[in-house]
Order: sequence, then C-alpha cells, then structure tokens
Amino acid sequence: MSYKFTQQSNSARSVILQKLKKQVEGADYDKLPAETGFTYPEISFEDQFTHFVQLLRNNQAKVISTSETELMDQVISELKARDISSLLYGADSPYSQLIEQGINQSGEQVELQDYDYQLTDNKDKLFNHTPASITSSNWAIAETGTIVRWPSQNEPRTMSLVPPVHMIIVDANKLYCNFSSLVKDQNWKDNMPTNALLISGPSKTADIQQTLAFGAHGPKELIVFVMNSPTDINL
Amino acid sequence: MSVNQYTPDRTESKYTKSASTFRQNVQRDLANEELRSNFAGAMDYLMDKRKASFPSNDELETLRDQCKLIKQRALVKLPHLLEQLETKLNENGIKVHWAETINDANEIIAQLIESKGGKNIVKGKSMVSEETALNDFLQARDMEILESDMGEYIVQLANEHPSHIIMPAIHQNKKQVADIFAEHIDDFEYTTDVDTLIGEGRRILRDKFSKADVGITGVNFAVAETGTLCLVENEGNGQMSSAVPDMHIAITGIEKVVEYLDDIPPLLSLLTRSATGQAITTYFNMISKPRQPGEKDGPEEVHLVLLDNGRSQAFADEELRQTLQCIRCGACMNHCPVYTRVGGHAYGTVYPGPIGKIISPHQLGLESTKDLPTASSLCGACGEVCPVKIPIPNILLRLRKESVKDTKGGEGELKGAGSNRKATEAAIWKAWSLLHRVPAMYKVSMWFATRFRGLMPSKLGAWTSVRTAPKLAPKTLHERVKARRK
Amino acid sequence: MTELNVRFYPSQPKQVYLFGTCLADVLFPDSGIDAIEFLERQGIEVIYPDGQTCCGQPAYNSGYQDEAKQVALKQIEQFPLDIPIVVISGSCGGMMRHHYLSLLKEEPQIQGFCDRIFEFTEFLVHVLKIELKDQGPKEQVALHTSCAARREMGVHLTGRKLIEQLDNVELIVHNKESECCGFGGTFAVKHDDISAAMVADKTANLLDTGVKQFISADWGCMMNINGSLEYQNKPLAGKHIASYLLERTSESNPSNKGN
Ligand code: SF4
Repeated sequence: MSYKFTQQSNSARSVILQKLKKQVEGADYDKLPAETGFTYPEISFEDQFTHFVQLLRNNQAKVISTSETELMDQVISELKARDISSLLYGADSPYSQLIEQGINQSGEQVELQDYDYQLTDNKDKLFNHTPASITSSNWAIAETGTIVRWPSQNEPRTMSLVPPVHMIIVDANKLYCNFSSLVKDQNWKDNMPTNALLISGPSKTADIQQTLAFGAHGPKELIVFVMNSPTDINL
Repeated sequence: MSVNQYTPDRTESKYTKSASTFRQNVQRDLANEELRSNFAGAMDYLMDKRKASFPSNDELETLRDQCKLIKQRALVKLPHLLEQLETKLNENGIKVHWAETINDANEIIAQLIESKGGKNIVKGKSMVSEETALNDFLQARDMEILESDMGEYIVQLANEHPSHIIMPAIHQNKKQVADIFAEHIDDFEYTTDVDTLIGEGRRILRDKFSKADVGITGVNFAVAETGTLCLVENEGNGQMSSAVPDMHIAITGIEKVVEYLDDIPPLLSLLTRSATGQAITTYFNMISKPRQPGEKDGPEEVHLVLLDNGRSQAFADEELRQTLQCIRCGACMNHCPVYTRVGGHAYGTVYPGPIGKIISPHQLGLESTKDLPTASSLCGACGEVCPVKIPIPNILLRLRKESVKDTKGGEGELKGAGSNRKATEAAIWKAWSLLHRVPAMYKVSMWFATRFRGLMPSKLGAWTSVRTAPKLAPKTLHERVKARRK
Repeated sequence: MTELNVRFYPSQPKQVYLFGTCLADVLFPDSGIDAIEFLERQGIEVIYPDGQTCCGQPAYNSGYQDEAKQVALKQIEQFPLDIPIVVISGSCGGMMRHHYLSLLKEEPQIQGFCDRIFEFTEFLVHVLKIELKDQGPKEQVALHTSCAARREMGVHLTGRKLIEQLDNVELIVHNKESECCGFGGTFAVKHDDISAAMVADKTANLLDTGVKQFISADWGCMMNINGSLEYQNKPLAGKHIASYLLERTSESNPSNKGN
C-alpha cells in the first residue's frame, strides 16, 4: 500500500500533543484540588455476602452454596436438568482435579472437554459444540454483585463468554467490599494481566423497547457455585 | 494530512445526517407520534432507573465531585497522560495510532484490516466509529463490517443511525424491530416477542463472530498508569469483538484517558448508574495486552486509534474544555425535555441531546450546527444529572455568544465563530441595551407601550400559534408605585 | 446543584429593595404591587428604585453579553444601599445572583451585590422565617417552579413550604412537576415548535390535577403556560405567588369571608 499511515500517525501525534501542551504548559499539579471519595458505612461480612448473592440473583444468575464434596453432584444435576452431556473445563486449573474425579466417579455420560486448543483454528468447536463451561474465579465484589476473573492459559477468556451455560466457582473468602478495595489490596496496577473480567450476570440486553432479554451474545445462563458461604443461601 | 474530508453518503437512509436541517428534522419528528411515544416511554424508564440507583443524595454528590475532579486532573495532564498511555501500551505490545481527522482514523483502520487480509469484520458498540462514519468508509472499499451490539445491529439493518448514545435503537418499538427483521432477514418467522427477536439476532451474530478475523470496539476508559483499555457492556459484543478475532482495533477520542487505575472504580460506578441505573454492567472488560505466548485465545494484534477531530479545539478554552470531561453516559439526553420530544435523529449529529449540542460545534463548526446551542430552554436538567458536572447550560450560553460574536473567525477563534451574527439581530440587541440602560428612555417607551396597548398585534408570529398574546397592563409597575406613594 | 442553595441568610431587615422585573413592569404590575403590600405588612419598608429596568437576561441568553453587561451595570447602580434586593421572578433572581458573577467578574463589588439578591419566596422563608395565617376558603392548587429558580435558587422548596403553611390549601403535585414548561425566553420564539410541544405537555399535566388555579413565582413561565391555557380555552390559570399569599392572608379579601 502506498499510504503510509505510520508516518501520518506520527505527524498527527506531534500536532495533537503540541496543541494540547500549549494549553497546559506549566500547570502546577500540586495545586490540583483534593479529591475525596464517599465514605461508605461499614457493613458486616455476612451482610456484604447477602448483598452479593442478592444482586447476582436480581441479575438472573443462579447462586448455589457448595463445598468440595457437594460441587460435582450439583454441577452434574444442573447439566442433567438441561440435558447437557458435555462440559468444557480447564485442565490444571484450581478445581480441575475435583471436576475430573467428580465426573469419573459419577458414572454419568458427561464428556469432559479440555480447552487444549488454539481458538483461531477451533472456533466452530467452541461456538457450536460446547454447550456449557465451568471455570474458577479470582475474587468477588459485594457492592455490585460481581465475580472477577483473570483468565489464564488454562482457563482462557472465551470460556466464560461463548458457551451458552457458564458455571463459575466463587470462594466467599475472596469477597471484597467494593472494586476499589480489591484493586488496591491486590495491587492490580503492578501486575495487570492480559485481560481482566468483571462478570455480574448472564449476557443481557434491553435494546429492544427497554425489554430485558438474556443471552444477547454470551451465556444465557450464569450458575454460581459458592464455596465457604458464611450464611445459608440455599433457599 | 489528507486533504479531502470523507463525506459519508447515506442517500438511501430515511434520515439525512445534517445538523443544518435541524429545523426541518424537528418538524418531521415532532409530527411522528409513534416516535414521540417511543422516546417518551424510554426516557421515563431510564430516568426512573437512574433515580432508584442513587438512594443516597450524599453519596451521589460526593461521587460527582470526585469524578469531576478525576476527569479535570486527567485533562490538565492530558498530553502527558497520552504519552504515558502510549508508552505503557507499547510496552504491553499494543500499538497506538494517532489521527487528527475522521478520515485519517478511517484510513488507519482500513490499512490495518488490509494488512491482516481481513474479510469478516465485526464491530462492538463504539460512538467514535459512528463519528468517523467508519462503516460507510469501509463499505466504500468493499469491506463488509457488521455491527454487533443488538441496538446497533438493528440500526444497521434499517440503514439508520443510532438515535441515542447508549441505546441506539431506542426510537424503534418492538413491532418496528420485527418489521425490520422481516424485511432483512431470510426465513424470519414474524414475531414481536422480544426474547425471540433477540434470539434471532444472537443466532446470526454468533455465526458472524465465529468467522470474524477483525474486531473493532470503542473504549470507555484508557488507563495511562497501566496501559489498559476498559470496555463497559451488558451484551458481550465488546468481548466477542475483542477476544475472538485475531486482530482487535480499538478506537477512541483523546479525552478518554485517565491517570490511575484507582480512578476507574468511582468512574465506572457513576457511569453505569447514570446511564441505565445499573450498579454495574454485566461485563467490565479490561484489556492490557495482546495474546501472550501460551495463551489460547484473544487477538494476536491489538491496536488503539486515538482521534482528535475537534477535541483539541474544545481543549484550548478552559470553559469549553469541560466538555471533554464527558464519560458518555447519556443521562443528559435522558433528562432533556427537548431530546425527549424531538428524538435523537432530529439533531442531525452523531451525538444527540445536550452533550451533542456542546461537542458537535467543535467537530463540525458553529456554522453548520448553528441551531443546536439555541435549541434549549436552558432548564438545566442536563447539568443537574451530569455525573462529571459539566455545566452544560453555561457552555450553551458560551457557544451562543461565540456564534453571534462580531468576528470573522480568525486565529484562535472557534470554527465558525461569528457565523450566525445577523446585522438586524445585533442591531435589535444594541437598541434593547440602550433602552434598558437609560431609565428615562425606558420609562417613556413603556408609557407609550402601555397607553397604546390596543395597537399591539394580537398575533406575535410563532408565539401565538399555540398561545394567546400577553396583554400589556394599562399602567406600568413604575407608574403604579409612584401613584401609590402619593 | 445543591451547593448553590447553601448560603448565609441575614436577619430580618427594616428595609428592602424590590426588583420588579421588566415583564411584571409592563405586563403584570399587580404582582409587583402585591409583593410590596405583602412585604409592608411584615413591617418592612420597600424601596422600588425608579431607575430599574431589566436584569439583562434576554440579551445574555441570546449570546449578546456586552449588551447584557451594560444593562446589568446600570441595574447595580440603582441599588446603592446595603440592604437585600428582593426579586419577584425566579429566573431574573438567578440571573442577578449567579450569572452576574461571571458576566461582571471584573467588577470589584460584584460578589457583594449578588449576595444581596433574594428571590421572593426564598426571602420569605429563609430571611423572614414567615408564619402565614391562612384566611381563605378550602382549595387545591398546583405549583409550577421555573427551572432556573429551581436549580439555581432552590425555589421549588421554598414555594412548597409557603403553600404548605396555608392550612386550607392542599398542594397537588402534577405529573413531571420538575419538567420545563418550554419558555426559555427567546427559545420559545426561535424554536417555537419544540417549545409548543413542551408547553402542551406542561398544561396537560397541570390540567390533569383538576385544580382551578396554579401558583408560580416566575412570570416567564406563567406568561407561557397561561397563554397556552387561554388559547386552549381552559378554565385554569396561574397566579403569582405574591398575589396569592396576599389574597390568602388578607382578612379584608371578600373571597375569604365566612371562614
Ligand atoms: S455530558 Fe454528562 S450527562 Fe451527558 S453524556 Fe456526558 S457525562 Fe453523561
């Protein structure tokens, strides 16, 4: 191509930056006004947790209290209820052994698929032959009913995006009060991953006449399994 | 710099995209009852949702102050932060491209797509790509680009433009959407059931996602500190476009950069609550790198296109610079009595409503947007809800002033400054001013006016088409106060 | 804009100025006279400077700031004593209290002048801390507050407080109470069709309440709404709050007899 956009971009860069710099040259950053955030009232961990579950449920996520011993029975029964016989998981991920054992011991005809391929060459498989997935999560946020995932090599980001049913395991001990405290406490700024995801329900849209519909592009259903739940949520 | 500004041609479209026909557009859309009821219903819904999501006024006002200052800090440091962003993104493996005009931005994107041999392009929701009219540009080059946000998809099928920055198809009701589907989608079984309609869109779009080789998205926030691009969405189209194809191109305005990662949580909270009353959207997607060795998905290449297109003009004036604090939540339009009635297309600009009135003059010039700053009763509803406290009414006043200023629009003036100054109008205000600062003259003329009030026309043009003319009192207040004292 | 409502209020003065506004001057002088009378009954001497004309808002809102400035400066000259200036129209009050600050920012004394500006209802509630004694018959009214007054002066709150003090009056809140009536000065003429659509909705919402009368503290809005109601041949009309309060609290008012 004859068009040299790189050169063009470089000259645009210097023009834009020059224009901007001319206006704010010599601005004294120390004189910027103090910024104060709102001080939220302290709430107990139990209340935070209840709020977290409530918001997820308001957003049509199914939330189930679980433990290492119960998890796979619950997963299998959710699959059976939907007539799903194949589950995408990530080998060598936090709960992978539990998942493998659970499926093997159950005697159920559930095919366990590992995300052991490059997406580029396997899009049809992921989009059209993967009805459900299960992943771990890193943290959760009470204030907004949010689950936080740092996708990894073993549990890539499209696992929680493409399959119509996404199951996700949350450890209640990793619940933060709000996003702000999570970012600070885990020092995100010094180790941002390729991709960080905040998930607060199944995919949805209200683009047609403000009517809520689920499963716009991503999962139609989000099933959340909570480990170490501090309160009884299985109502 | 390229000489010819690319002008999109949508002659097929029902809606001419021009702010210079604002008056005709308004007439057309005010007369459309279905359209008006679609907007009225939608705005009521969004206003109620916003209100319910801010139970504490104290929290709301503290957050607004905080976010205003966050954005103002980012603007004071803007050139520095843009450089920092670029450095960080480069370190992370994301390439940065700069564009002064929409044409340059489009050209960059087209070249990137060609470099990849891209055939199937999907786009997540991005108002900046609307600003550049990217779809038309790429189509003119025989590149097929598909909108994947549900609302944008509907709008694209109908060959229209978004009528709202958050909910692009808000001007259509479900029956109209069903009609659009029936016209454009083969084997569509007619229904107005929203779940089924969305299901239909899902089926088609997922197929396209699975075949896409290039994905284009906007950016809600770009974090300088970490080199991170943030996307806010409910549907997952932004993720689909940024995670599935091998190339991801993000495009955004230069004002979207913020300094710290810590700035994000309060901004995000205000954005989603102000926009749709949600505590948070379904997805918040933070992209810092292309696919790394060993990773199995995500794009091999990530590019960011930074667009100026008039933003640096707004930046050059401290008052107008506040326009760039905008986080595109749409609350100002949801609460605007004018927008609610005329809808988003009447403005003839990419960004409609109050934010459109204050940003479009920098993009298109004051001449072709001359009716926008005056099309406001200055009621202040926009400024009251704006999460970053942009004093929109004051900025409208300022633009009115610039628009009628006695200038030929020279160096340092806004594009199109003075272009709407009319000799007669200017003379009237001069005379008005004189009359009102010489009390004796004022009183004499008011005396005459009231005495000869029978001569006052009972028709006052536009005023009396829906109102009776006000009647002058027999005696002025000045006179009556005097008489009372005696 | 909540911070705008936080201000320091002086104790009850002996004297005040009245700023009558240009609209009341030639169109609705009754409300000016009623405001004077009402204030005098509270034991306050009211000075109405003869040289006053207009706050300058029409030119200011049209982008002719120099023209507005000259008029504004002339007004300031008319109010030399350091006493409150009571303005009987909310948007003019907002202009003089807030917009003068930026329009006349080079004037050394401008802050002091702006601090002396009080909208009529604001003055009654916050400075006089008035207690009204309702003498009128039972009735229902609606209240429309001008947007400028609401957002710049918090007048919707003070107007409501005053009406609530009237024992026999029930305040009916109309649908979309806070929405603009579509006046906006030259907006109503420059963009007449949008303005018409707005005032059509405002009058419909007011009519829906079934009240016989609505109250406002802003003549701009009222001229707009009343003009539209009259054009539609509706029996509803708006009254300025000064006239209404005077009427409701006067024993001599014939309509108050028998209560
Ligand atoms: S101007 Fe304010 S209210 Fe309007 S879109 Fe921008 S941030 Fe939202």
